Amino acid sequence: MVACLLIPGFELRAALRLRPRLALVPAALAPEPGEEPLLGPVTAAAETAGVTPGMRLGEALATCPSLVLVDRDPATVEREWEGVLRRLEDAGFAVDPVEQGVVVFETKGVERLYGGVRPALARALEAVGSGWDPRVGAAARRFTALAAASVARPGQTLIVAEKEEESFLEPLPLSLLPLPPDRYAELEGLGLRRLGDFTQLPQGAVAERLGVEGRNAWRLARGGRRAKVRGRKPAFELAEALAFPEAVANELTLRRALGSLLERLLARPERAGRPFRKLALAARLVDGGSWRRAVTLRDATAELARLRSALGPKLVELPCPILELRLEAVELAEHTGQQLALVEPAGEEVGVRLREGLRQVRASTGTGSVCAVVEVAPWSRIPEARALVVPRDV
Amino acid sequence: MSGSIRLAWQRRRVPDVTSDTERLAASLPSIAGRLNAPRRALVETTVGGEPRLVDRELVTVVREEWRVVDRWWTDDPVDRRYFEVVLESGRNVCVYRDGERRCWFTQRA
Repeated sequence: MVACLLIPGFELRAALRLRPRLALVPAALAPEPGEEPLLGPVTAAAETAGVTPGMRLGEALATCPSLVLVDRDPATVEREWEGVLRRLEDAGFAVDPVEQGVVVFETKGVERLYGGVRPALARALEAVGSGWDPRVGAAARRFTALAAASVARPGQTLIVAEKEEESFLEPLPLSLLPLPPDRYAELEGLGLRRLGDFTQLPQGAVAERLGVEGRNAWRLARGGRRAKVRGRKPAFELAEALAFPEAVANELTLRRALGSLLERLLARPERAGRPFRKLALAARLVDGGSWRRAVTLRDATAELARLRSALGPKLVELPCPILELRLEAVELAEHTGQQLALVEPAGEEVGVRLREGLRQVRASTGTGSVCAVVEVAPWSRIPEARALVVPRDV
Repeated sequence: MSGSIRLAWQRRRVPDVTSDTERLAASLPSIAGRLNAPRRALVETTVGGEPRLVDRELVTVVREEWRVVDRWWTDDPVDRRYFEVVLESGRNVCVYRDGERRCWFTQRA
């Protein structure tokens, strides 16, 4: 059976983990800076006050003047979501994340372990934790499982038997289908409100009017294809972080910190010589929020200079001073081979000897004993602000 | 400086740790320490506020004096009066009086 675990408003819930009091007052996730001012998920108190997700900011503030806007915290959201996925994986589920807050998995492999579908799903809910208000739906097909999860109550397990799928989907709203907002409006204009109404239409007519996306939605409304869920390849945790003694906004300082993090990440033995395919740069902002940018490299590389030039420009996008910079290796390439140099660059041998010497010092004195001095603001009038001592544990 | 060393030593790896503990340790951010952080100094001054004794050693010459006033717009303003002095033993020392905390520190300037 295919199961779908859903945590509605995951981004807001994750952003409120450090400010739980806000969960009890009218609050909403603030719009993305520079984008259309539409609200993200809202708290139950905000919903009671008439504020709905996707509402225009001005309208929402007019409806509920006491509405608190919660800044987006993408790094925390990413970390918390990874935590949820890891807990599910630890419980034995091969997960296939759809988006943050929605994950699909097969129960077939663990049914015997937990004694049936229902106990397995109960274990999944337990693994995620009741604090997230997760709900789970299960059915023979993926879309039906998602629909079941979206109508289940917090902590509830809703299983739809294969022969009841059609009757289960019929009364559900069209908003479950992955269609652009203008398409919903078009369908509503035609008097269609339920999935059952939509499936009554001939497939050819739907395809002619709504195109490929309409045809796909029509198929989904009938339950969708019966496809096997492929579990993700468990993410490889390879990250380096640097906390600053005070908030930093200077680009030179940030670039030097990035250089230091790259050197440390490249030296991690877990990499086993594999080059990076995708990296993410995250920062903890001085005002309590966070910032995250992922960079997919055109060619997987482990060259420091190329990585610097790929990631460096992202630092300019930081919205305010930061307290911590974090570099994560999101994806590594599988190959380890590299083009050898015909003539070794000058100073390579000295570099190798130095690295070996440092390795021996670390081996004899322990982690944290070798540090590098990183000059961050040599022009500063305050002597202790001119350079930082950064531990080099790898 | 001393603070950073202490933090670094707290993270010293124990040989027989579990992989989970290692993973957790790896995920913790390294704390960047300050280089040349000021240290407390015992200073006695003259009536004019110049150092007469530094760490119980007599000051023979005050070579230079300057002020640093910075970050007055933040919660952590800097107001320092620096003195570069030569002690009786011939040592060259740089001390400053922190106007905010009203105490003396020594630091390589």
